[in-house]
Amino acid sequence: MKLSEIVEKIGLEALGAWEDGDIPGVYVSDMASDIITGAPPGCLLLTLQTHKNLIAAANVVDAGMVVFAHGRAPAADVLELAQRVHIPLFRTPDDTWTCAGRLYELGMR
Amino acid sequence: MTGEPAFMAVSPPGGDACEHHWSMTDVRGGFLVVEGCYHCGARSSFFSTEPVPPRDEYREGEHVWEYLSGEQAVSFGLRCDLCGATPDLSAMTALEMSLCEDPDCEVGRLAARLDGQASVYVALCGDSTHESGHCVSDEGVAALEAYFNQGRRPGRRRIVVVPCRLRNHADWCPGVVISDAGLIDL
Repeated sequence: MKLSEIVEKIGLEALGAWEDGDIPGVYVSDMASDIITGAPPGCLLLTLQTHKNLIAAANVVDAGMVVFAHGRAPAADVLELAQRVHIPLFRTPDDTWTCAGRLYELGMR
Repeated sequence: MTGEPAFMAVSPPGGDACEHHWSMTDVRGGFLVVEGCYHCGARSSFFSTEPVPPRDEYREGEHVWEYLSGEQAVSFGLRCDLCGATPDLSAMTALEMSLCEDPDCEVGRLAARLDGQASVYVALCGDSTHESGHCVSDEGVAALEAYFNQGRRPGRRRIVVVPCRLRNHADWCPGVVISDAGLIDL
């Protein structure tokens, strides 16, 4: 599914610049250590974690986008780091469970 | 890109016959324990699988090690799906996304040469002083780099992995260690 389609259908708020692209699947995790061992390339990473190490992990596994649940937003230095490595960041007011359910209903796996 | 990092030229384990395809193996959860010597400022780190990370203060040669931090982390190995090669990653305690821009540091100079076309990650060993002469092996560094690049989407920044012995100094070569720092803020 296209990133732009997900943004529109889920109602995500962009936290910086982004470009459209294919998002093949979803990975849900709040732990950087888990992300580097399990998140597939290009995935939508759904998380509560806003620490800088989330970006370090998302970048090394080539995450396609990061969505912060529960309306969370990272600090300015985290946003800057994500922009530097071209990882688009978004947030949703939904909790993780609700957002994951909506993504599932869209056909994302 | 203006030149390949030295560690990309290292022959993969198992020789050149195999075009390796790496998978992660031996994934273990635990803690990345960092200790500091308050006499000389050296840093030491190790991976602990104990339920509670050890916080002992102890003397070792000229160093007196004091607990600095213990963050949840993961350790892993790599194995080639094709030939079964297992590069030596035994010395690696963590992986760090480098933010170094110091022209006096080899890691910072490498990042400048790559000019935004790749992200530099530092494979950290346990001994910041490298007094022992050991660091993460060249074959391990090459395999890590290949592993993190093999599935990347076309057009995305590549990952370049270097051993921590290239750093000018552990405290002056900034980066973001991949560990579970920040979990208590959730």
